Amino acid sequence: MTEKVVEVESLVKRYENIIAVDGVSLDVYRGEIFSLVGPNAAGKTTTVEILECLRKPTSGSAKVLSFDVTRDEMQIKKRIGVMPQDFNSFERLTVKENVKLIAKIYNRGEIKRSLEALGIWDARDRKFLTLSGGMKRRVGICMALVSDPELLFLDEPTTGLDPQGRKECWEVIRTLKELGKTVFLTTHYMEEAEKLSDRVGVIVKGKIVAMDKVDALILKYGGGVKLVVKGGEKAGDILKKFTKNIFRDKEGNIVGKFPSQKEASKVLIALYKLGEEYTTEIMEPSMDDVFLRLAGGKIDERGELI
Amino acid sequence: MRGIWAVFSALVKNWLRSKMGVFFSFLFPVMLLLIFGLVFSGSEGTKYTLYIQNFDLDQGKPTNLSAAFISALDSTGTFSIKKLDPQINVTDYVKENPSFSSYRILIIPEGFEKKTMNRSMSIRTGVIIDTLVEIEQMYGSYMSERNRKIISEGRLTLSEWKKATPTVESSEILVLTTEGDTAAPMIKGIVYSVINAFNNKLIGAEEIVKITSQPLVERKLKPADYYLPGYIASFIMTNGIVGATSTISEYRRNGTVKRLAATPLPKSSWILGNVFQQTLLAFMLTAIMIGFGWLIFGVRAFPDAYALSLIFVGAVAFCSVGMVLGGVIKDVEAASGAGNAIAFPMMFLSGAFWPLDMMPGYLQTIAKFLPLYYFHDGLRNIMIHKNPALSLIPFLILGIFAIIFITIAVKVTKWKEL
Repeated sequence: MTEKVVEVESLVKRYENIIAVDGVSLDVYRGEIFSLVGPNAAGKTTTVEILECLRKPTSGSAKVLSFDVTRDEMQIKKRIGVMPQDFNSFERLTVKENVKLIAKIYNRGEIKRSLEALGIWDARDRKFLTLSGGMKRRVGICMALVSDPELLFLDEPTTGLDPQGRKECWEVIRTLKELGKTVFLTTHYMEEAEKLSDRVGVIVKGKIVAMDKVDALILKYGGGVKLVVKGGEKAGDILKKFTKNIFRDKEGNIVGKFPSQKEASKVLIALYKLGEEYTTEIMEPSMDDVFLRLAGGKIDERGELI
Repeated sequence: MRGIWAVFSALVKNWLRSKMGVFFSFLFPVMLLLIFGLVFSGSEGTKYTLYIQNFDLDQGKPTNLSAAFISALDSTGTFSIKKLDPQINVTDYVKENPSFSSYRILIIPEGFEKKTMNRSMSIRTGVIIDTLVEIEQMYGSYMSERNRKIISEGRLTLSEWKKATPTVESSEILVLTTEGDTAAPMIKGIVYSVINAFNNKLIGAEEIVKITSQPLVERKLKPADYYLPGYIASFIMTNGIVGATSTISEYRRNGTVKRLAATPLPKSSWILGNVFQQTLLAFMLTAIMIGFGWLIFGVRAFPDAYALSLIFVGAVAFCSVGMVLGGVIKDVEAASGAGNAIAFPMMFLSGAFWPLDMMPGYLQTIAKFLPLYYFHDGLRNIMIHKNPALSLIPFLILGIFAIIFITIAVKVTKWKEL
């Protein structure tokens, strides 16, 4: 897990008066799923498209599979698989024909095995146009996979899908990892980054604000475990004994913050000793909390920072 | 080159499976072929409407001579004659019945027959007197005294009689035409030639100079044969410039281009794959147009190997223009608008639909700068005149044009965002 397949150093992409990517540095290791997570217009796609050799960087360096993106374009393109943002393909070709087209361009690829790996072999003769959003993305991932690349770039693979389609897509992405592929993912869904990735880079306004393993990020920026207590006025007094970090949420429940679940459990035990009727809930911190802490906002369903 | 065939077959399949797309690709050319075919190559040829107002009536019916004059005009086959009642005021009639085409009105005055007959007698008399004078001068010395005297007396008697009768003016046929009517001189010419024939007949003159006409091209061709190469060339051009432009910009808009750009496919393969797909479409279009031409107009000018090669070069040339437009203009609507703005003026200016001679001189000069002119001209030379040697220049011009535009297309098509 130490071999770097992507090495980015102080990458800058400047348009006339907008800096889309503002000094991004990151590494991706062989065999991992790396997610670049952030709201719309944070610079995710620009970064990925520079790595895919679809855009030219303004400055900085970027290497993919130890090839330079500005000099060895063809070497990189031959070795990577790509699913672009808002992926689309020939609408009236079948699933199989679309996948076959890519295999022909790469002059290699096992079509049947790739279709089977992504669970779309049964849909092989359906026209692309007739597929659901989730199926289309699976075809897109299959098209990225068919040439048997070492590294796959999936740019917002689940954006616009319903929860079911999204979950199916996650399964497929996990399959890629099982096949030994390295996956570079972009998303604005915190849940997706948390569930799928080994490592996450949080990008806001063209800058990476944090990058680490998911657990480490949550531990560092998640703000600890929250214990929500409903009912019982005495609960507040008990909580005060264990933490200074107490507040009331919108519903008027008492909430205490603790550095870990173990600390929160101590409070629970103390509460139950009182014998009063409580409803308690322990809330684990998530990537949402990490992002809220780092960017001072949330990302809505469409990827906008709110 | 890598992947051209893969891209080509994907594009062809994707297009062929769009039933609506295929239908409309062919519908428009076929419709125009039918419309233009019927307008320009009807068996009757062009007829001009000529209104005739006949004041020369005898008890309410046209006099024999005026009726004969009208039927002589009709027999030229140039006019579709409409009669206007003598009660009608022509100026008011034109005002009350505005028409898209120009009015041409011929008025036969009252007393036309009588005047004409009298005038004809008076002229004939004059001719006889002149003839008698000449006979006396040239042959008088060979005649007997008696004959010379009789001729001389006859001439004098005739002259006195002629002097005694009042001079008769020639009758006037009035032709009214609209200002700016380009066909007016031709119509006046035809009317004049009919009047001239009448003049000759009325003084009993035989034809001195005759005219005969024959078709120049020996093969039995229908008018549609002549127009078909123009239609084929035009629709290959519009298909290339308008069709290819919108196809390619749509592929770019919906992300297909980005998907392919991220593979090792060279962009020249993408461009050539598209050009060849459009070229295949051009051949299908040619086949369909000739099929319809054959079924409906009995066209017999089928393309041979030379014609097919020129169609290939032409299709490649015009599709490359489409690829350039689609490469430069990002917006799908704007791209197809630009395609239309180039294709349609070219279609009408190049003389593909009507002979260039019909257009003003400066437009004829402009036509010579349009690649479509060389395309339809070359195609016509091969298909109608069976003279491939004459289409060498079109081959060269279109070939160079194709190479230049493919090169530009490769330059302007963005495989990579800046």
